[in-house]
Amino acid sequence: MKAAAFDYVKAKNLVEAIALLSEHGEDARLIAGGQTLLATLNLRLSEPSILIDITAVSELKGISVQGNMLRIGALVTHTEIEGSDLIAQHAPLLTEAAPHIAHRAIRNLGTWGGSLAYGDPAAEWPACSLALDAIMVIQGPGGIRKVSANDFFIDLYTTTLQADEILVASEIPLASSNQSHSFQELARRHGDYAAVGLAAVIRKEKGKVQTCRLAFFSVAAIPTMATKAQAFLEGKSIDAALIQQAVKLAREEIETLADITNSQETKTHLLGVLLERALTKMMP
Amino acid sequence: MELNGEQFIAAPVSKVWLGLNDVTVLHASIPGCEEIERISEEEVRAKVMFKIGPVRARFSGRLVLSDIVPNASCSMAFEGSGGAAGFAKGKAKVELIGAEGGSLVRYSTEASIGGKLGQIGGRLISASAKKIADDFFLAFAKELGGDLNIVSDAKLEDKLE
Repeated sequence: MKAAAFDYVKAKNLVEAIALLSEHGEDARLIAGGQTLLATLNLRLSEPSILIDITAVSELKGISVQGNMLRIGALVTHTEIEGSDLIAQHAPLLTEAAPHIAHRAIRNLGTWGGSLAYGDPAAEWPACSLALDAIMVIQGPGGIRKVSANDFFIDLYTTTLQADEILVASEIPLASSNQSHSFQELARRHGDYAAVGLAAVIRKEKGKVQTCRLAFFSVAAIPTMATKAQAFLEGKSIDAALIQQAVKLAREEIETLADITNSQETKTHLLGVLLERALTKMMP
Repeated sequence: MELNGEQFIAAPVSKVWLGLNDVTVLHASIPGCEEIERISEEEVRAKVMFKIGPVRARFSGRLVLSDIVPNASCSMAFEGSGGAAGFAKGKAKVELIGAEGGSLVRYSTEASIGGKLGQIGGRLISASAKKIADDFFLAFAKELGGDLNIVSDAKLEDKLE
């Protein structure tokens, strides 16, 4: 099928893009990588009257270290993240997660900001941003505001982004030397949507867990942290018995939501399997 | 797909019943409702902009009520078509039960979704249905001036069709 007719405008800078968004409101969609949008247009699942191309907006590009934060521009592609030395050094969780995103052709075009703003509950980046305690930099007609990843994802495909706002970049605290991570994902085929996934980051002090963030994805309507299991692990040294207790807590506290191929029970079981794998990996 | 749930609304059963039968209240409560019209005692027609994730499609649909027991329960059959995006049809049963300080609304729904919406949107269609039901009851409770308490969260069952 072909998309319905639409207008196309290429914004030269961020101010122009925001002005266009404000002017056209709900009838406009931003296009960057287009890896989800173009498919839905061609299937006529949505028919916006205008596409605003933001790929030339330089404010949205690039990976850089600013003070004690790693800044990832919204237009940075999955492939760029996969190959970036800055990311490997300061947010190695992302380097490990990137190959799980779809396939090479999609990773070459799909973007960091697109994945976050779309908020698919099965996507990797929303959960990683939560595990890394990222801050979302958002710009609208009124200026810039910053929102923690904790508050950014509100509901199924719904973020705190307003219709006239653009996600500019994310800021991630630089990984410290006492930090370990694990990325786990189960899918029916490589590159397919995750059945269940986990992005985990642990900081240790003298062998004991100091802080711990366990962000599961594809389990509920939004990426979800196992806050009880996290609180339970903090202050303790990880061993096999502790892992079993944390797994039990996580299975109890996360209310899973079935999708078309996996039941609630399957998801609850699998999230425990992934947590066990992740904690075992981060044990030493 | 089955969607069942129970919600507590802090308003008496008679008021909830009137609300569920009042197209003005429904217009304000149904997410994305653009037009709603009562054709007869048993039939309502509506246009709804279904906007969730990748999908933005305008559905026009028809709702036929049956087994109407005022202030207690009714059954409904519905069907809607979203043009190129697909269609949805199904049936639901709604029961109102008086409770301390308000009413319990119990609903059970069976729906099937077809067309491209069913094929592509299918992965998260039940999660989407739950979100729409939750949004509806939240707005509906507000319209009636009461608070909403989710007693038992919408329970979903997926079946491959």
